[in-house]
Amino acid sequence: MTVTRRNVLLGATATAALLPIAARAQTAEVVIGIIYPFSGASAQQGVDAQKAYEIAAEIINNKYDFDLPLAKDAGLAGLGGAKIRLVFADHQADPQKGRAETERLITQEKVCAVIGTYQSAVAVTVSQICERYSIPFISADNSSPSLHRRGLKFYFRAAPHDEMYSAAMFDFFDAMKKKGTRIETLSLFHEDTIFGTDSGNAQLKLAGDRGYKVLADIKYRSNSPSLSAEVQQLKAANADVLMPSSYTTDGILLVKTMAELGYKPNAIVAQDAGFSEKALYDAVGDKLEGVISRGTFSLDLATKRPMVGKINAMFKEKSGKDFNDLTSRQFMGLIVMADAINRAKSTDGDKIREALVATDIPGEQTIMPWKRIKFDEMGQNNDADPVLLQYVGGKFVTIAPPQAAVAEAVWPMK
Amino acid sequence: MDMPFATRRRRDLIVAACLAVIAALVPLFVKDVYVQNIMVLTLMYAALSQSWNILSGYCGQISLGHALYFGLGAYTTAILFTKFGVLPWFGMLGGGLISAVIAMALGYPCFRLRGHYFVIATIVIAEIALLLFQNWNWAGAALGIDIPVRHDSWLNFQFTRSKLPYFYFALALACVAWLVTWWLEDSKWGYWWRAVKDNPDAAESLGVVVFNSKMGAAAVSAFLTAVGGSFYAQFVSYIDPESVMGFQFSLLMALPAVLGGIGTLWGPVLGAVILIPLTELTRSFIGGSGRGVDLIVYGTLIVLISLARPEGLVGLFSRRRKAMVR
Amino acid sequence: MTAETIIQSLASGLLMGLLYGLIAVGLALIFGLMDVVNFAHGEFLMIAMYATFFLFAFFAIDPLLAAPLVAAALFVFGAVVYLLIVRFAVRAKANAGMVQIFSTFGLAIVMRGLAQFFFTPDYRSVTHSWLGGKTISIAGIFLPVPQLVGALVSIAAFAALYFFINRTDFGRALEATREDAGAVALVGIDKNKVFALGWGLGAALVGLAGAIMAVFFYIYPDVGASFALIAYVTVALGGFGSVFGAFAGGIVVGLVEASTALILPPSLKSVGIYAVYLLVVFIRPRGLFGSI
Repeated sequence: MTVTRRNVLLGATATAALLPIAARAQTAEVVIGIIYPFSGASAQQGVDAQKAYEIAAEIINNKYDFDLPLAKDAGLAGLGGAKIRLVFADHQADPQKGRAETERLITQEKVCAVIGTYQSAVAVTVSQICERYSIPFISADNSSPSLHRRGLKFYFRAAPHDEMYSAAMFDFFDAMKKKGTRIETLSLFHEDTIFGTDSGNAQLKLAGDRGYKVLADIKYRSNSPSLSAEVQQLKAANADVLMPSSYTTDGILLVKTMAELGYKPNAIVAQDAGFSEKALYDAVGDKLEGVISRGTFSLDLATKRPMVGKINAMFKEKSGKDFNDLTSRQFMGLIVMADAINRAKSTDGDKIREALVATDIPGEQTIMPWKRIKFDEMGQNNDADPVLLQYVGGKFVTIAPPQAAVAEAVWPMK
Repeated sequence: MDMPFATRRRRDLIVAACLAVIAALVPLFVKDVYVQNIMVLTLMYAALSQSWNILSGYCGQISLGHALYFGLGAYTTAILFTKFGVLPWFGMLGGGLISAVIAMALGYPCFRLRGHYFVIATIVIAEIALLLFQNWNWAGAALGIDIPVRHDSWLNFQFTRSKLPYFYFALALACVAWLVTWWLEDSKWGYWWRAVKDNPDAAESLGVVVFNSKMGAAAVSAFLTAVGGSFYAQFVSYIDPESVMGFQFSLLMALPAVLGGIGTLWGPVLGAVILIPLTELTRSFIGGSGRGVDLIVYGTLIVLISLARPEGLVGLFSRRRKAMVR
Repeated sequence: MTAETIIQSLASGLLMGLLYGLIAVGLALIFGLMDVVNFAHGEFLMIAMYATFFLFAFFAIDPLLAAPLVAAALFVFGAVVYLLIVRFAVRAKANAGMVQIFSTFGLAIVMRGLAQFFFTPDYRSVTHSWLGGKTISIAGIFLPVPQLVGALVSIAAFAALYFFINRTDFGRALEATREDAGAVALVGIDKNKVFALGWGLGAALVGLAGAIMAVFFYIYPDVGASFALIAYVTVALGGFGSVFGAFAGGIVVGLVEASTALILPPSLKSVGIYAVYLLVVFIRPRGLFGSI
């Protein structure tokens, strides 16, 4: 390996970290690895994520008047104003490559923390490697509930997982029923990779627990050339609510096929993913007036918390898109990690981990509608309340839970 | 100026032994785990491609469904270990045997198919297996199997940070695959296959014996591929259907042999040594752009090499070898 | 399961099957002509869909009007691919089969990379078009207009191709070149010219399919992968060397896919297609109508 100037610098800072007196003098950088798919079928998610992380780094490294951890100072005060530098790696949605790239980030790029990964399957191997090297990993946007239950010490997730999301949907159904809306039967429609399978399982279990009848539980192959047989079965079941868990591609095809086969459900309550992507609404938004999707982010928050609107504007300038459910979680992922590094006053993995365990950020200091960020013993934040958003007049409005809602749900959808 | 066959074979063996010893010494000097990881993958692909080469190169039955056997090996090991606590070494053997039996069972109807009908049959059989695993809840379905990390030991074949045990296992596997190929070249089967390739009509007269030898080739090839799959499961310690049984994987297994020289002793090794580091490095150093530059570079190389060197890159190294490549 | 569900599924399956036939026919033509399987076929479709999308996005040309333009563009593209790559691949003295597979496979990777580079990996859609979103309902059975038009185009394309191969001079030249490339050289037919035209024609047919697909499908650099394997199975099921086989193969694949989804979980619907392929070739090793 060639010895770059950067490596020398890093070596120097590592030595400096051992000397308490020198600690304030360092102005070097803190390197954080960001691992996403940058090629292949989900490359767009990687490209969008990159911009979200860059905005977060921009806010951390410079002075901004936001009530967000680290925004007010330039760099990390706890490390003498050290700046955050991001290294991006491409895992191509392959768990093996995710593993190899994480190892490269840790051993070559000398990152002190890793954030990723979009695909849950890749998060499995990335978090394993981080565990082996005692490097903290924040699972910014993976929603598979199995991830935090593996007894890993260096795994953290500030955002909700699919069981929390699904519970929020059923809480909403229960509330609607109390108001007299007829919701008795459900159709589940989920894709066959880890995301759809986990989501389908969680929804099936909740439906049983809370007394909803599942008329159709359709698992389909992701990126199928045609969904007409599947939609036909949904149409035949004609449940009160259709609950899709689909990525963007299948989401577009689903909505188009539904229109073509004359299926108009009373309500669609979607498990995010494709249903929070701009591309889907660009393609078939006209057919989705009144669709409900779960999420963790809501632009409605901007009226209560002006910084949300300002940060969103920064992101929009860079990417041409509003923050969505994924990009907002990614943004927060870096903020949470940087905050921990700052409090740890060190780039040592174990110290950062301790700081992460001690994390307690009140909801008002985030861009999310969460109560707070505090990790349980498995590294999961249970206070990240999901929201339900309804697509009305070309934008999303928050309709649940009551404390975050700004409007009543339009039911049935148009 | 052909060397006598026996002389060439002896020389091949000596060269292979020297290369294996040199390879075994490399990790003493290269300590970087990222580079070591690339070396492990290179050896794994050399072994896989060598195994593929036995059936597809020497025997002429082009399979683009070898991910099936790889996946079976990986799944057998992982299921036995996580569900029944069986050590991976037995899983490896079991996976290999299951794959060999399945390969023969599939070979029986498939070897009657010719050309692209055979190729497509191998693809769709692997796809069927992929879909079944993707929907098989007991085997983890899409969630795959996460192999729990225990303490480092050869018994569990698990090592937290060190790549060396994996490196030496992969090296051993590559050597075994090479030796099997080397031995087959001079066996009765090897002669029949060459005869059939030179003169398809000879196949008719040799009939049954050739059919049986093809079944044998399928079994050996599947066994070794499955052992590679078991190794992968231990090395990555997480498997899911898409990453061990996907169609892309079947192509990746064939690629080193094709570029290095299909149906040759050294082709798969040479192909893997060039291709795998290239793939890894292009992804690591230009893949983060999100613009597909790594794909452009990688694809262009495949096109150029396969057009410029149809007999494979081994042709560059030795004119004499060309005569043996047919 | 009601009769309506079954009829609807079969009707959708038939329409989709005719489209699969249209997607696959270019592959069948090229294979029949020169025994080459184009592993970049799915990427040809992807390029055609992007071409349609950009004609729509920048010039507001409806996909239906764009179809001939896209077909023409793909014709040129196909011929160029032949002249630059495939021509050399078939000349290979060693391992001709593998060289063809992997040179076109490499091309597929390059095309995906280039699409990502120039068009970004974002998902595109033709948002409004004459056909898009329209649907005909007969006695409760819904027939989406884009697929219906696609099916008609498919039938027309097959009819035209049949006429073209059997009744025109060029068709006869194609046929003769296929039979014996050496002999035609003697009568003054340039083999390369014929093959290039064959590739152009095959690609133009994919172009037609792509223009119609763009109306109701999403578009992104990896979209071809969803269709490539189905196209290969369609051609092989129908039998290599038979253009009519691709037509029949497409219909079979569409119907089998739809009926499998009625019986098995839909995530396994491709298993039905693959199983039928294996069944057919185990009984008839040359596919349904194959000559080679």
